[in-house]
Amino acid sequence: MNEIIRFDDVTYSYAEGSAPALDGVTLAIRQGETVAVLGHNGSGKSTLAKMLNGLLTPASGTVAVCGMDTKDESRLLDIRQKVGLVFQNPDNQIVATVVEEDVAFALENLGVPPPEIRERVDAALRDVGMLEYREHAPHRLSGGQKQRVAIAGALAMDPLVLAMDEPTAMLDPKGRGEVMETVRRLNRERGVTVVMVTHHMNEAALCGRVVVMDRGKVKLDGPPGDVFSRAGELQSLGLSVPQTVALAQGLGLDAAPLTEEECAELIFKEFSRC
Amino acid sequence: MLKDITLGQYFPGSSIIHRMDPRIKLILLFCFITALLMANHALTYAGVLLFLALAVAVSRIKPKALFKGMRPMLFIVIFTAVLNIFYTPGEPLVSFWVFNIAAEGIERAVFMALRLTMLISATFMLTYTTSPIFLSDALARLMSPLAKLKIPVHEFAMMMTIALRFIPTIIEETDKIMSAQKARGADFETGNLFRRAKALIPLLVPLFVGAFRRADDLAVAMECRCYHGGEGRTRMKQLHMTAEDAAVLTGGLLLLSGLTVLGRLGWFIP
Ligand SMILES: Nc1ncnc2c1ncn2[C@@H]1O[C@H](COP(=O)(O)OP(=O)(O)OP(=O)(O)O)[C@@H](O)[C@H]1O
Ligand SMILES: [Mg+2]
Repeated sequence: MNEIIRFDDVTYSYAEGSAPALDGVTLAIRQGETVAVLGHNGSGKSTLAKMLNGLLTPASGTVAVCGMDTKDESRLLDIRQKVGLVFQNPDNQIVATVVEEDVAFALENLGVPPPEIRERVDAALRDVGMLEYREHAPHRLSGGQKQRVAIAGALAMDPLVLAMDEPTAMLDPKGRGEVMETVRRLNRERGVTVVMVTHHMNEAALCGRVVVMDRGKVKLDGPPGDVFSRAGELQSLGLSVPQTVALAQGLGLDAAPLTEEECAELIFKEFSRC
Repeated sequence: MLKDITLGQYFPGSSIIHRMDPRIKLILLFCFITALLMANHALTYAGVLLFLALAVAVSRIKPKALFKGMRPMLFIVIFTAVLNIFYTPGEPLVSFWVFNIAAEGIERAVFMALRLTMLISATFMLTYTTSPIFLSDALARLMSPLAKLKIPVHEFAMMMTIALRFIPTIIEETDKIMSAQKARGADFETGNLFRRAKALIPLLVPLFVGAFRRADDLAVAMECRCYHGGEGRTRMKQLHMTAEDAAVLTGGLLLLSGLTVLGRLGWFIP
């Protein structure tokens, strides 16, 4: 698979002398992947996310996006366009007073001709299922809808990677569901590579790959089935496992079911045997 | 209660005035204010008032909405009128203690109040019929020649857009903090001015902290979306002058400049 983003021994600290927020991170993100980044508070997840599009640049080591070094300021706009970054609080990342104006913001900054902006804005809004709200005022929308508008704003740039730092943290379960479904559909239908920082284990379980951070280091990295089967290790890193995994392991089964159906099936099989 | 603030509010509609290029509305407002300030006779006042009434009628904005928006300004209008009643010299009609009220004073007060009311209503007519985004856009375009003088026009327009975007959010937040403080026994409504001002401190501190955090987040989010100032920027929505716009502009300009000249020279009005 094509490698889009590459971290090479990346180290970063916010203040001199303080513990590094990233400490020797080496990581490759390939086209079409969905990557969940887990870790307890202060483990460096947000710092990692801000490295993805050059908002922060490494103190040592390199981050390359499609072969472009994020330290190269002349390529910064290209890099930002390749990696759309969405944050936790939807209220604080919507710039304009009308939904469609906000989605157009990035394209206007990039100097795209007006008719093309119109087309791409409509396409992005359709992709997140918000086309009918295009003339609404953002502050009247629900949290999940606002976050989908924020995603459309990134999506309009036609990025290869959609990176999100706890996009569902401020949403209710319904909003969380909307956002997760949208993101997964974008990955499936549009082939957008997804990197998402999250605290929700069941959201991580929906991704194809899970990266666990601890004190600035990558501790675990692999498919969710593998990562979540190591419950002991996760616990020592201050994390829990998805409820389905916890249930299976509480029943003494040696498996890590990721969805409720999988879990039910596993339990059914196990207990119908005896 | 905070939700009642209509400042900068926009009532969507489809009248000629709603459709008009916002640059034209701005120019006409400017001319209207000039004509209004030049008016010095009942007839010219009537002319200006007629123009305003016509605009209100055409826009289908309910006069009630105009009056509602006017309410917070009422104090200024009354205050100015009262000052004029007492401070205009002339033959006193009534006089008590150190105050003299002259016929001239009453006349002036009436015209002053009219002038202010019309000025405020006309400004509201602009904000009620123009989406804020078009308004700040139009302002930026009209002022764009100033950019040559190194005046940061784009930055001002951006500031205005962001302010308009965040006013409702911050009002909502104020309401939320107020309710939270009230639930803890805070009292914003009783006591003298000093006590009430003091009661606002626990409201203002979190509000300011919140606003700065928002500004910080927003700056990062804008950077993520390739914002790098006004250079090379395009706009999705273009402003277009139509034939209809041109006709309204010409008509409006003729009327208003006629009124201005009449007001200034006072020709043939005894
Ligand atoms: N702006 C900053 N200035 C100084 N130190 C910071 C700053 N931002 C983060 N840090 C520190 O860097 C470390 C990593 O922070 P980071 O925000 O990346 O963690 P995180 O995994 O995103 O945590 P959370 O789950 O709370 O969002 C923490 O020790 C934090 O205190
Ligand atoms: Mg974080």
